[in-house]
Amino acid sequence: MTDALLVHMPALAVVVPLVAAPIAFLAGARWGRPVALFATALSIPVAFVIAWMASTAGEKLRYQIGGWDAPLGIGLVVDGLSATMLLVTAVVGFAITVYSLGYFAEQEKYRFFWALWLFLLASLAALFLSADVFNLYVGLELVSVAAVALVGLSGKRDALIAAMRYMLAAILGSIFYLFGVALLYGAFGVLDLAHLAAVLGPDVTGQAAFALITIGLVLKTALFPAHFWLPPAHSNAPSPVSAVLSALVVKGSFYILLRLWTDVGDPSYVPGMGTLLGVLGATAIVWGSIQALRQERLKMLVAYSTVAQIGYLFLLFPLVEIAGRHVADAWSAGVFHAVSHALAKSAMFLAAGAVLSRFGHDRIEGLGGLSRRAPVTMMAFGLSGITMMGLPPSGGFVAKWLYITASIESGAWWWAVVVLAGGLLAAGYVARVVVPGFAKASADASDADVDAGRLPKHMELAALSLALAALVLGVLGQPVLDLMVVGDPASGVIP
Amino acid sequence: MASAVPESPRGVRLAAGALCAGFGVLLVRAVLAIPEDHSGLAPVVAERLVDSGVKHPVTAVLLNFRSYDTLLEIAVLVLATIGVLSVAGSHPRVWAPVAEEADPVLSALARLLAPFMVLASGYLLWAGEHAPGGAFQAGAVLGAAGVLLALAGYARPAWVTKFGLRVVISVGFIVFLAIAVGVMFLGGVLLEYPRDYAKALVLIVETWLTVSIGAILVSLFIASASPIEELRARTGSGR
Repeated sequence: MTDALLVHMPALAVVVPLVAAPIAFLAGARWGRPVALFATALSIPVAFVIAWMASTAGEKLRYQIGGWDAPLGIGLVVDGLSATMLLVTAVVGFAITVYSLGYFAEQEKYRFFWALWLFLLASLAALFLSADVFNLYVGLELVSVAAVALVGLSGKRDALIAAMRYMLAAILGSIFYLFGVALLYGAFGVLDLAHLAAVLGPDVTGQAAFALITIGLVLKTALFPAHFWLPPAHSNAPSPVSAVLSALVVKGSFYILLRLWTDVGDPSYVPGMGTLLGVLGATAIVWGSIQALRQERLKMLVAYSTVAQIGYLFLLFPLVEIAGRHVADAWSAGVFHAVSHALAKSAMFLAAGAVLSRFGHDRIEGLGGLSRRAPVTMMAFGLSGITMMGLPPSGGFVAKWLYITASIESGAWWWAVVVLAGGLLAAGYVARVVVPGFAKASADASDADVDAGRLPKHMELAALSLALAALVLGVLGQPVLDLMVVGDPASGVIP
Repeated sequence: MASAVPESPRGVRLAAGALCAGFGVLLVRAVLAIPEDHSGLAPVVAERLVDSGVKHPVTAVLLNFRSYDTLLEIAVLVLATIGVLSVAGSHPRVWAPVAEEADPVLSALARLLAPFMVLASGYLLWAGEHAPGGAFQAGAVLGAAGVLLALAGYARPAWVTKFGLRVVISVGFIVFLAIAVGVMFLGGVLLEYPRDYAKALVLIVETWLTVSIGAILVSLFIASASPIEELRARTGSGR
């Protein structure tokens, strides 16, 4: 019986939030809360069991939906990469749910939040598990529709404009992706990722398809210069939504890029693509950080920090292209960065949301005395800042360390320079918040601020636990590093 | 109308044109390189059609072989509707008549046509088993009937309360999901219909999907049509 249940775990990871979503929709705001709390809490053990299954199997596991074998049917794939992403989604999802219980406390205006939120979590799980390029498209669409609706949740003018702009960028991205899928199917006649990997040849149609898909996904991941939609969308959304957008939603489209370029094909499939993505990533790191240094509002600063941090993910592609897969572990660096950024950035946005509720504004210059008025929030922000900067012992440090080693070992030292420069710039923008935060409140600011009362403890603690998780990831990162390479075709050939 | 949009500088337009042309050339090359024999998975579908419970290959793919895609696509529709309801923020006004003063001719015509449209919808649903058709087409016709009635000034039926509307919007998805998960208790995997019941289950799913798709289309139309003024008032004074 337990074995029978185990087999269905990948399906359950999608089904649990997917069942909860319409229940929350029908039940309305009041009952949506316990439903969401229960579903997201249940998702954590499910994700852990899946991770355990992947690591004990030591290879890719498949779950064929409807009992139809690929290429006719659609499969779910469980390997180290999908298990890692599911685990992060479950942990971040639960913490944001706990925070949202306070943030959206009994507000009739936000009555659709819980249904949208559960649909978003279900679609992320569906996306991370899918083994089929068309099904991935459906997953992408679900993620985008849910994310756009959540951005516009407040109904305020700026939020609606940001949501609209986000939607146009997302739809354009989807069209490019779908076009690529159509070409892939035309050229190779299959949609399943493993089948595609087997038949993928040096073929003009296939290369064009990969290029189109990459353009679409770069738009959705907000890689420089396609980042224009991200800062307004991520900063105008309600803070729990900002957190999930920066932590998980942009990682969804990045995940598909990773699957296609390192699992189905490899970065040399389209000549120059790896380098191009790396150069854009490097530019994103510098540009995003400089913009973050110039912002006047806290949430805009954090949003531009996301633009910069997304850049790091893309350094993976040129390094994997130069060095091959595991000569130097650039691949693990990228995935590890995705994980630690997910934890730290969600913590940072949740902290920023707490600041907004506490101060009634998020102007950076008016944040004096933050450490005294909201010490837990201040600590959450500071700790997640350590990961952004990449200081030991944080998860961000491990990711950057792996990147630097990889670039030096493969002789492409200039990527290491970018990584180091990005860390310095991050120190600059984190300090802009932390330094005045520890200072005394200036006399004119203190009476202008509304003291919005004490924040519910669980909100501050949700932010703090995510920040701590990002920090601890640096010390206890080895199990995660071991997990994420499971089932990876190249992981067996470490020289 | 066109003058309201500022014209881009000549250089920008030329650059955009060149980019599009280059892109077009790339696409043409890519499409021309597709092998002549691009039957794809069609032979596999034809071979396994007997196991699907229906006789039309498109329905077999949509509701059995790749039913997971369809399940998630219905989720997209429900999700989009929730998104629109959330942004429109006017739940009680949804399903209010769009036109305040109805044209008597339109009103009479709509009244005459609506039953036939429901009938046509039912036929399309049934035809999907062996010919092109099915839940999406049937739902579209049903939705069109609803839009016509709304335009003709008929108020929402009394049974469509706030909760009732949410039920109708999501019932197709809920039934589909319940069956998808339910078959797991019969020892199958997600969405694995037992051979003998495949046809019946597909038909049940399609019937409820038709109802929901119709309701979703009408809701999308009316929710985005009626509260525009309210939305404008809100966004104008926002911030």
